[in-house]
Amino acid sequence: MRILLAEDDELLGSGLKAGLAQHGFQVDWVRDGVAAERELLTGAYQAAVLDLGLPRQDGLDSLKAVRARQIGTPVLVLTARDAIPSRVAGLDAGADDYLVKPVDLLELAARLRALVRRAHGQPQARLEAGGITLDPAARQVWLNGEPVELSGREYDLLHVFMLNAGRVLTRDQLEQHLYKWGNEVSSNAIEVHVYHLRRKLRPEVVETVRGVGYLLPREARP
Amino acid sequence: MTLRAGGPMRSLQARLLLTVLGLVAVVWLVAVVATWYDTRHELSELLDAHLAQTASLLATQASDELEDSALARAPTLHKYQPRVAFQVWHEGRLMVRSAEAPDEPLSGRRSAGLADGEVGGHFWRVFTTQGREADVLIHVAELQSARRDILWASLRSVIWPSLLALPLLALGIWWAVRDAVRPLRELGQGVAARRPQAFDPLPTQGVAPEVLPLVVALNGLFERMAVQLASERRFTADAAHELRTPIAAIRMQAQVAQGATSDAERTDALAATLQGCDRATRLVEQLLQLARLEAEVGGDAAADSGLEGETDLADKARRLLAELAPLARTRRQSLTLEAPDAVPVAMSAPLAAVLLRNLVDNALRYSPDGARVKVRLTAAHGVTLTVEDSGPGLPAEALDRLGERFFRVLGTGQPGSGLGWSIVRRVSRLYGLSVAVGRSEVLGGLRVQVRWPEAPV
Repeated sequence: MRILLAEDDELLGSGLKAGLAQHGFQVDWVRDGVAAERELLTGAYQAAVLDLGLPRQDGLDSLKAVRARQIGTPVLVLTARDAIPSRVAGLDAGADDYLVKPVDLLELAARLRALVRRAHGQPQARLEAGGITLDPAARQVWLNGEPVELSGREYDLLHVFMLNAGRVLTRDQLEQHLYKWGNEVSSNAIEVHVYHLRRKLRPEVVETVRGVGYLLPREARP
Repeated sequence: MTLRAGGPMRSLQARLLLTVLGLVAVVWLVAVVATWYDTRHELSELLDAHLAQTASLLATQASDELEDSALARAPTLHKYQPRVAFQVWHEGRLMVRSAEAPDEPLSGRRSAGLADGEVGGHFWRVFTTQGREADVLIHVAELQSARRDILWASLRSVIWPSLLALPLLALGIWWAVRDAVRPLRELGQGVAARRPQAFDPLPTQGVAPEVLPLVVALNGLFERMAVQLASERRFTADAAHELRTPIAAIRMQAQVAQGATSDAERTDALAATLQGCDRATRLVEQLLQLARLEAEVGGDAAADSGLEGETDLADKARRLLAELAPLARTRRQSLTLEAPDAVPVAMSAPLAAVLLRNLVDNALRYSPDGARVKVRLTAAHGVTLTVEDSGPGLPAEALDRLGERFFRVLGTGQPGSGLGWSIVRRVSRLYGLSVAVGRSEVLGGLRVQVRWPEAPV
């Protein structure tokens, strides 16, 4: 899951990036409010962790600007501002969650998963579609109750399909969701991962929409 | 805070009561004594005149009646007559005496005049005169006790009302004073009943003019306390806020180390954890320095021992640079000192160290790798400390805001809380130093110049 981290403190930023990576997040890290706004406006992120006291532009202003442009990316505000008025202002500016520093890594990861899940209209913690069950917290996948071993990339790709079950995703969109900056994406990377998913789960788990992209149907075909 | 009524000092009421009653008693005593002397004097004159008058009357009569050689006794005509007596002697023989007069001479005096004496167990005041013939001696006497009785009688009317008046006066004074100090008592109760956080001023309307200065002073105190408390609250809130990020970083890095899957990742995370601890420590140290400085500025501790002293600035600077040099070397920064052998300043050693450390530390911290930092001390016209660096310097609007607590120049890429400048400002204010911040002409970066006031010669 690709998320944006906006934090100007080097030590905390590197910790958050490494810690979230341990929990399966692909983290892009920006250090000021202007960059945070610019990156959020791309809409390429599943969620964002936003500090408020950022250089160049306050995180709150970045958030307001992004929401004004109808970008619905879930945003978790992580800040040292603990006063109630600050929390209210943060949530009213469009934040989906508000955490005060210091924060526990496990809790932060869980909240990010919950934000992503809710943003895709999924009420349960486990995602289910077409006989496949995916547990984002445990990063585990079952097919008709049987556990399936997937590589990290394959899991990430399946997660994106499950979150967007019943919707067609283009190859660009998939790449955006999967790869953080600086990763070399070979032209057929998505095809290779889809191939492996079909092999490990079942051939018709992901359907190809010729010339457009891929689709994971909500219900498995009989 | 309560107004103390007891303690080593007697209450106003008791003091006023005792003073007024004491004064009244003294005045009264003086009056009584004066009356006593005055009355006695006038009484003596009057009664002595009566004695003389009677004696001269007797003298004119005695000569005619002395042919009768038998002792004559004058009859008693009035109940008070026993208090007076007379004798007429002729050639040493008692010729006539009043009924109450003794037989022995009332006075040993042989010439005309007044005398006091004791005869027959009584004290007499005697006037003696000679008759027309020298051998006739006439004594007219009056009991001294009779005189004293008159004196007492006249004094009684002075003493009794005064004795009665004293307790009444005491009661009156007690009541009046009690009433007069009521505003003070009420003020005390009002102050005592306050909550410690209440700093609203006491009402000044309807306050007695004597109490008004106290109320105004108290209100002034409340105002200063409110400002101080607000400043302390803000400081605590700011400090808590500033500590959140380093603590969050430490926690996050520790959790990363916990969940690390490779040794390299764990080592990195642990190193970052330690780095975070160092940063938090530095921040706490700075906060404590600042809190101590604020306490010294806030209280009137200027005269207290903490600020006095003499420090060799050159020595302090050499030690500090020796301490910081290894750190500077890791960033390939050059750190140089230009100073005379000794530069004594009137300043406490710890605060001089705090000032120097924050200035040099700031210069190193906010200059890039390989930068030059120059520290110069001169003592020509007053002591001047200059710290220059070849760093990026500061934009004008940042120069203005330097020294605001927790104000940080953004985009420096260095962790910091902006406390260093607050500390420099505080120390400077304590000692009346002037701090000038500008562009270094030699190195191109920031130049900070601290000037000590020229010592009066």
